[in-house]
Amino acid sequence: MTDDGSTLAVEVRGLTRVFGSGESKVEALRGLDMNLSAGDFAAVMGPSGSGKSTLLHLIAGLDAPNSGTIRVAGRDLSTLNDDELTLLRRRNIGIVFQAFNLLNILTAEENVALPLVIGGTSRAEAHSKAAAALDRVGIGQRRKHLPTELSGGEQQRVAVARALVNEPLILLADEPTGNLDSLSSDRIVMLLRRLVEEQGQTILMVTHEARHAAMADRLIHLRDGRVVQEQTLPPGREVDEILQDLESPP
Amino acid sequence: MQNAILGLLASGPVHGYELRTAYEDQLVPRAKLNFGQVYTTLERLQRNGLVQNEVVNQSARPDKKVYRLTDDGRRRLYDWLKKPSKFDLDLRNETFVKLMLTRRLAGADAFETLAVERRECLERLHEITQARAKAAEQKAPLRTVLLLDLAVFRLEAFAKWLDRCEELFREEDTR
Ligand SMILES: Nc1ncnc2c1ncn2[C@@H]1O[C@H](COP(=O)(O)OP(=O)(O)OP(=O)(O)O)[C@@H](O)[C@H]1O
Ligand SMILES: [Mg+2]
Repeated sequence: MTDDGSTLAVEVRGLTRVFGSGESKVEALRGLDMNLSAGDFAAVMGPSGSGKSTLLHLIAGLDAPNSGTIRVAGRDLSTLNDDELTLLRRRNIGIVFQAFNLLNILTAEENVALPLVIGGTSRAEAHSKAAAALDRVGIGQRRKHLPTELSGGEQQRVAVARALVNEPLILLADEPTGNLDSLSSDRIVMLLRRLVEEQGQTILMVTHEARHAAMADRLIHLRDGRVVQEQTLPPGREVDEILQDLESPP
Repeated sequence: MQNAILGLLASGPVHGYELRTAYEDQLVPRAKLNFGQVYTTLERLQRNGLVQNEVVNQSARPDKKVYRLTDDGRRRLYDWLKKPSKFDLDLRNETFVKLMLTRRLAGADAFETLAVERRECLERLHEITQARAKAAEQKAPLRTVLLLDLAVFRLEAFAKWLDRCEELFREEDTR
């Protein structure tokens, strides 16, 4: 439940974002509407330049729109001052990028604890929460390692743990698998899926890979800064049933 | 089919009935054999000296006939395993035909066709990726996981091709 009692985690209306002016003017978003309910796992797809990253940045409060409104947990971002925005972001938004953006001089656990420490949590509590978050993403045993000692897939798990350590309402992921090989990337998306199923995590994920988008429950296709197609995917069937379909003679 | 049967006989003598079950359930996807096919194939393999049969005496039950590989059969099997398979590209595709028609018929819209096909493809992909994830979690046999992966990557390739069609149709329309 969000602050105003609705269950919408994110509500976006008539969003526009224009970069540059004159000759070099780019309309990255041209009146985009979308909703994300608590517990949703939605994937944003669309060709390069369609505005996916711009949308995520705006929802994360890292950038401001030219017009339109964004409500996160019921609060209109444009009505917040810097401090309020920082607080709202800290409580509600976790974000994972294609580049893992870990600090190489800190261990996995220190990286994950950092946002808590910055937010004023005591060191001891921050570290115990960080260790728990690393456990949840399946690499608790690697928590004392430096990022340079971890594989790409492991580093991205650390980044996911860091994004989740504040227990944010929404996890935003911008091509979280862009730098990984196909097996590690599939496993990262399966991890996101598990977070949705087991902990009711709300996730908005940008991806170019159809097989990763298909792991979500809802698909949002962008083109030229607008939503051109939305699709809610039906609940999965049992493995045996699917196998029977695949294996039954033509 | 002959080579698959040689493969099933390679790790020890097998009874005809077990052969059919192993072929359908553990090896060849989408396979359906009847006994007639199994025995005709075994007879042919025997005539060619690739397989031998022998009768095993069982004390409590009637004697049973089992089949085993000959040295020639084993050689033939390993030769086949080393050779590249004939890749089945099978380009007969209903979507392709629809797209070609919608591009040239008045009142038909290729972009609509693409949207419908993409929807369907992603639904199938959703089902199968979910099953793939569950299979991995439940530690299903590797054969199951790999079969699901094969389906996933085929569907993904199709989704990519649909995207490509969309881009090229748009390019053509702005020329
Ligand atoms: N800071 C910026 N300054 C100028 N132009 C920008 C900026 N950020 C984005 N753009 C432009 O806005 C458009 C949308 O960019 P965006 O990064 O949102 O696309 P995207 O859908 O994420 O693409 P990709 O799949 O390649 O990541 C692009 O044309 C891009 O060049
Ligand atoms: Mg982007």
